[in-house]
Amino acid sequence: MNEMWRRALAEPRVIVGGGLMLALLLIAVLAPWLAPHDPGDQDLLNTLLPPVWDEGANPDFLLGTDSLGRCILSRLIYGTRVAMTVAIVAALGAAILGTVFALVAGYFGGVLDWLIGRAVDVWMSFPPVILSLILMVGFGTGLRNVILAIVIVDWTRFCRVVRSEVLAVTKRDYIPAARLMGFTHVQVIVREVLPAVMPLLLTLLSIEMGIAVIVEAILSFVGLSVEADVAAWGVMIADARQYMYQAPWGLVLPVLGIFVAVLAANLLGDGLRRSLDPRLSQRLAAVR
Amino acid sequence: MTETAFSILFRRLAAAIPILLVVSAVVFVVLRLIPADPLGMSLPPNATEADVAALRHEMGFDRPIPEQYAIWLGHIAHGDFGVSSHFRQRVTGLVFAALPTTLELVAAGLLFGVIIGLAGGLVMFAGRGQLTERATDLGSIVVMSIPEFLWAIFLILGVGVAWRLLPFIGRIDPQMSVPSRTGFLLLDSLLAGDAAAFGSAVAHLLLPAFALALALAPLVMRVLRSSLADTYLEDYITLARLRGLPEWRILLAHAFKNAALPTVSLIGVQAGFMFGGTLLVEVIYTLPGIGNLMVEAVRNHDLPLIQGITLVYCVIVLVINTVVDIAYLGLNPKLRRQ
Repeated sequence: MNEMWRRALAEPRVIVGGGLMLALLLIAVLAPWLAPHDPGDQDLLNTLLPPVWDEGANPDFLLGTDSLGRCILSRLIYGTRVAMTVAIVAALGAAILGTVFALVAGYFGGVLDWLIGRAVDVWMSFPPVILSLILMVGFGTGLRNVILAIVIVDWTRFCRVVRSEVLAVTKRDYIPAARLMGFTHVQVIVREVLPAVMPLLLTLLSIEMGIAVIVEAILSFVGLSVEADVAAWGVMIADARQYMYQAPWGLVLPVLGIFVAVLAANLLGDGLRRSLDPRLSQRLAAVR
Repeated sequence: MTETAFSILFRRLAAAIPILLVVSAVVFVVLRLIPADPLGMSLPPNATEADVAALRHEMGFDRPIPEQYAIWLGHIAHGDFGVSSHFRQRVTGLVFAALPTTLELVAAGLLFGVIIGLAGGLVMFAGRGQLTERATDLGSIVVMSIPEFLWAIFLILGVGVAWRLLPFIGRIDPQMSVPSRTGFLLLDSLLAGDAAAFGSAVAHLLLPAFALALALAPLVMRVLRSSLADTYLEDYITLARLRGLPEWRILLAHAFKNAALPTVSLIGVQAGFMFGGTLLVEVIYTLPGIGNLMVEAVRNHDLPLIQGITLVYCVIVLVINTVVDIAYLGLNPKLRRQ
């Protein structure tokens, strides 16, 4: 395990991606202290202000204001809260659900494997966006329901990939050996199988964080995510779209927010994959 | 080959029917959890209790869910998807009117994505160990980090608003009209022999298709690169080198074909996802496809329409998967002999 962390931390992508993620997390936690204004405060005398580097800006609003005169910087900062909550809670939830199913399917095989495999098939026959929209119609809006919807949609991403890894691990000699030593199935799974799939799981988890941010942004863009008074990046994009000629920055800035979050997640995931999956690095090294 | 293609087709169809049944049942039940009253949107504010009850009865919402599902399924079997509660039109009519727009968009997006992806993957691999690889590698991660709907907005802001190069609203110039024969605007304008309309339709398609393509291309690039890396470990590549073949010929004529398989199956999986991606792109570019229709249906709690469109999405994804399986078979002789 220590060796794993050392290898991961030697990879620049892990440092950059992880660093960005931590920074976003800090912004989310410290939002009330960082934001210069309340994200819902309207200043109808100062609507659609440009950011300070443009003409006609008001230094009170560093990144300008939206069509209701709300401070874009503050909304961005508070939007980080929604994005990070979803990134962490929904991604973890999907990872746990998917991994449990993958372990059961891959380790025990048989009818359980067949059932779980068919469930994954059914899930994969929907485009994820469509499924999440349907779930949001069924559940109603709100952050908790968004998280629930993402978990229900995305557990298959983990299940499919982790299952085949579990299958490969279960065939190794040390698994029957552990059984012969008197380990119960649960002990074998927790002590032998789970650590073996952990590198893969961490990689998938960090990529899923980015996906969760995107899905939340999409849902809030179409007005099906958080409640109307909560500042979220997708809501900001939907609002600013109406005024993109007068105030393009209002549109660009939340897009950049999503971009940074997703880039961080992907860099972290890619870095973890490179540093923790020795097979891939060998393959790439062989052709160089 | 044809025989195995048929057996795949048959196997797929046999597997598709239970999947579709389960999917439709899941959708049906989830939608019945709806906290808001699905009728709220389709009645005037001064409707009486009796009006509500009458409409509820008319739409069948007063029956138990399994019974509603059985009735709905029975109608589907006769090709009847019901009537949209918001638009007050037949679901089939609405979906078929919208479908060509989406199919056109996906076809163009796939085409662009595959071309950019394959070219990029070859360049990335050919430049391995050099700055080219690092640049394309990083570039592809950056592109991948931007979901298609953000690309859609970026492209509008850059190409549409700042440079005013391409249009970004609707399918065609609002002053033009093309008689609709197939519903596929590119085809219709060609059939009508209207070059100006065809040009306008292509111009309107470029940005949204490109936004979709940018979600696919980096994945294709990276998978092609890594399967080329695998292929290059094979003996026949070394042999080709020993025979003195130029490096570009080894890459294009020998390695590329064998490395293409994983890429094909990736494209297949991604084509299914691209269908989901069209939803937002259609909303952003105001294209009247099924994605836009779905969003309208969702906003208005239009359950019959949501159910109908969902089923259409599932059928299309299943069809794409089948086509990819058959293409895979054509490319991989090892599978054919069994």
